[in-house]
Amino acid sequence: MKKFAFTLILIIAALIVASGFKPATNTSDFDVASFSELPVQVGGRIKPLDSVARNTLLVLAARQKVVTPEGVTLSPIEWFMDLTMRPEVADTYRVFKIEFPDDLGIAGLAQKGQRHYAFNDLLPHFDEILRLYKEINPEPKKRSPYEQQIADLNDGLTLYHRVMHSLHPVGTPERLDRLVDEYQSYISSIAPGLVALRQQQAGEDYDAELLSRFIQFGDDYLKLSKTAYLRVVPPIAPVDPLDDWKNIGLELLDVMRGDDLSPYVTSYASLTMAYRLDQADMFNKTVEELRQRFIGEFPNDIDRVHFERVFNQAQPFYLSMQLYLLIFLTVCISWLRWSAPLAKAAFWVLLLAFTVHTLGLVARMYIQERYGVFVTNLYSSAVFVGWGAVLLGVILEKFYKNGVGAAMASLVGFCTLIIAHHLSMSGDTLEMMRAVLDSNFWLATHVTVITFGYSAMFFAGALALIFTVLGLFSKHFSKESAKSIVSMVYGITCFATLFSLVGTILGGIWADQSWGRFWGWDPKENGALMIVIMGAIVLHARWGGIVKERGLMALAICGSIVTVWSWFGTNLLGVGLHAYGFTSSGFWWTIGFAASQIFFICLLYLPWRYWRSAFGKDKNRREC
Amino acid sequence: MKALLQFFASLRLTVVLLALSMVLIFFGTLAQVETGIWKTQKDYFESVLAIWAYPEAWIAYDQLYWLRIPMPGGYLLGGMLLINLLAAHITRFKFSAKKAGIFLIHIGLILLLISELLTDLLSEESQMSVDEGASSHYSQEYRDNELVLIDRMHADFDTVHSIPIALLKPGKTVAVPESPLTIRTVSYYPNAQIGRSQEGAAPVESPANQGVAVKMNVVVTPTAVTYAENQINTATAYVEVLSPEGSLGIWLVSNVIDDRFPPQMVTLGEQSWEIVLRLKRHYYPFAVELVDFSHEKYPGTEIPFNYSSEVMVRHSDTTKNQKALIYMNHPLRYEGLTFYQASFANDDRTSIFQVVRNPGWILPYVSVLLMGVGMLVQFGMHFFKFLKKRATA
Repeated sequence: MKKFAFTLILIIAALIVASGFKPATNTSDFDVASFSELPVQVGGRIKPLDSVARNTLLVLAARQKVVTPEGVTLSPIEWFMDLTMRPEVADTYRVFKIEFPDDLGIAGLAQKGQRHYAFNDLLPHFDEILRLYKEINPEPKKRSPYEQQIADLNDGLTLYHRVMHSLHPVGTPERLDRLVDEYQSYISSIAPGLVALRQQQAGEDYDAELLSRFIQFGDDYLKLSKTAYLRVVPPIAPVDPLDDWKNIGLELLDVMRGDDLSPYVTSYASLTMAYRLDQADMFNKTVEELRQRFIGEFPNDIDRVHFERVFNQAQPFYLSMQLYLLIFLTVCISWLRWSAPLAKAAFWVLLLAFTVHTLGLVARMYIQERYGVFVTNLYSSAVFVGWGAVLLGVILEKFYKNGVGAAMASLVGFCTLIIAHHLSMSGDTLEMMRAVLDSNFWLATHVTVITFGYSAMFFAGALALIFTVLGLFSKHFSKESAKSIVSMVYGITCFATLFSLVGTILGGIWADQSWGRFWGWDPKENGALMIVIMGAIVLHARWGGIVKERGLMALAICGSIVTVWSWFGTNLLGVGLHAYGFTSSGFWWTIGFAASQIFFICLLYLPWRYWRSAFGKDKNRREC
Repeated sequence: MKALLQFFASLRLTVVLLALSMVLIFFGTLAQVETGIWKTQKDYFESVLAIWAYPEAWIAYDQLYWLRIPMPGGYLLGGMLLINLLAAHITRFKFSAKKAGIFLIHIGLILLLISELLTDLLSEESQMSVDEGASSHYSQEYRDNELVLIDRMHADFDTVHSIPIALLKPGKTVAVPESPLTIRTVSYYPNAQIGRSQEGAAPVESPANQGVAVKMNVVVTPTAVTYAENQINTATAYVEVLSPEGSLGIWLVSNVIDDRFPPQMVTLGEQSWEIVLRLKRHYYPFAVELVDFSHEKYPGTEIPFNYSSEVMVRHSDTTKNQKALIYMNHPLRYEGLTFYQASFANDDRTSIFQVVRNPGWILPYVSVLLMGVGMLVQFGMHFFKFLKKRATA
């Protein structure tokens, strides 16, 4: 039985990891995988269409799949293909998430129990949505949740519309079926069109019908150049990495200046026609052409783009999240039964989860070409905080082997990855860094060290939580168990203080290098300093014998609150150089977290007679 | 005496002071939403006592408007921590190799507290804006003003008589150095709006009888001082210029009445001076020429990738001439000043540098080095002791 428990846990873990690497199930004959790797320039870097599809869908629907009215589940890229090439079908997919549709104040929209709506559901209400949008506070930071919901819906519709127009002009289905012809007739109308225009301006006779057709094209493509979301047309090789790519509309307009139409444009038109006619052979051939052209022109980027698609699909952080859950449950069970084999299994799974988590971080470094830089934005800080806590957990588990380190590390890892998941809803998590922050050296040192300080503070706080819970409720919790957690918390707090101090200092040096002052009392700096002081309080209080076990635990939990303030709270203030933005729902989460921690502190100070553990009873006896 | 020393040396006091520091920093962060970083810094961290008031923007302000939380300010806490630390070292600590780490951390900390004080007292920040192809030999502060009388009699140079704004107290007089003139301040407004007089709306009766105020019918509306970042207070004053023979008239001066307006001249016999109230200037014995400013963006976006200014510094002592590229995280340190790329304007043709003089800039570096090493030593020793204990256990 014991052996079986151990093996079972490992098998579950292996299945979880394997699920990330199974090839995508593609029932159609279309080469979706190759299509999803086609390159596009968005947000200052070249990435695969797959990333665009996922990010767009996350922003709109807050998830990475679409269920068609027929009940078929589509991957983000399959949805993207329908959106751009068969928009009349995609308009029936429910991709707009509205959290509280009843509260929107749009009569006839909300359907009971339905939080996702299709473009066609929203279509009859466009005027109403636009009217409401005009009434809300134009300052995004001052919007109420209701106003934010209206703004999100309006922005979502705009994004949807722009992404739809990414690969070619959109119009009636008939137009999409004849895209290649349209471009042909456009190109052939340019020369005579320009002549007619000149004749008209000179007051001579001209072909009015030809001119109006030519102007129609111009107007249309001008509009398209403003709407089309993606830059899918690279400049002519050899390409400077800092050159702008063009969107389809811009490329079509530039043909008027005498440029040749880029083959990328015509290829996308052929792709669309093939997809609409269900000609998989033609589609796959064109995708392959596009791919080969890209490989030829961007030999240095092709591997990274391919890798990013694989990374997207494997979702390593999602896998680690599942593994952390598994570890936490395993440890909890181990405290009740089969403790030795389960604790051992938990440790191995922890190592596995840590490895997957690490691979995810390294993969992001490779994609961003910033080696050693773990944290570039709020999202990646959440991912890294969890990773740091797990690293500390692995070390503790190696020394103490009692499951406490593993359980709490997996708890912190799980929670921070959930936070990261929610932060990822706002768009691309691999965004470019603003100029002043764009320093790999400082990102790799200051930001990494300070964020690791957060990990350690949270981990110490989490250990204090388990101390509270076990001390109050577990009969097995002895004096020795208490002592071991106390020494863990003490040790981790030492680490936290060291890292926070060094990180803060490095930040000061960076600030001196870029703004001319070592310290500016900026909210984020203050937050970091508060963590350092918190650490100093814990250590001095312990050295002075001012606090005993309970006091130390209470202070460690305070440390978590201070850290959350520094990490999120300061961003909510919207002042200072570090304010890189955060939604107001974050405010309530921060308050909620602080309240929950204060609740635990109150629990800690329950009189000893309520403590059911051996440790608590012993204390009670001494007091009497 | 001994009891007192013991009180000041106690770890309990350390913990209390640290806790109070945390409270101060917390409220000093919150207050920034209302009053901006600069004012908060003065109120909370460069003060003895700070008082936090319930912010108007928060919920239930109507019920809680009276709520005030007083707390010891930065100077008090910093000073107390310093005393606490020194007293602890006098009474409790005996130096030993075991405590070397703690000693280093504490020395670093003392140095850091001192360096912060020095920075508060000694550092000067100003901005220099230079157009491409042009050069500048002065920088401007953005909070402090000066009243100047400029004598343009010489062909080669101007003589500038400067009076600090702090001396402009209503009713008081100040003699202009090296000139026969005396300034009497009629009124002074730290921030105001300046505009053409509207029929029937003259918020402040204009006493002026000379210059722009009369010629262009300009009047003053005093407004509250702003502490917001990137906003400049419009310092404004009515000043009377007195000669030995009597009054020459009353002028309206303000830092928005600049070279867009006709110069306001004070004339006495043969001599004349231009009278200007302006942001305080620092003149240098060198000029910074902006050769080229560039502002790159990530391809296909508006996200800035890099700002950089290629400059040539020409000193009156030509051996000190220097060419430099100032860009993000790479300031130019020159003659005790540091030039940082701060901003740009004028469609990317003007570069704006932050010019900082901070004689104590090296101190934090030394201090943090000491603290960092101290921490490594201290926790390193703990850690190895722990490992050893584990190994023998």
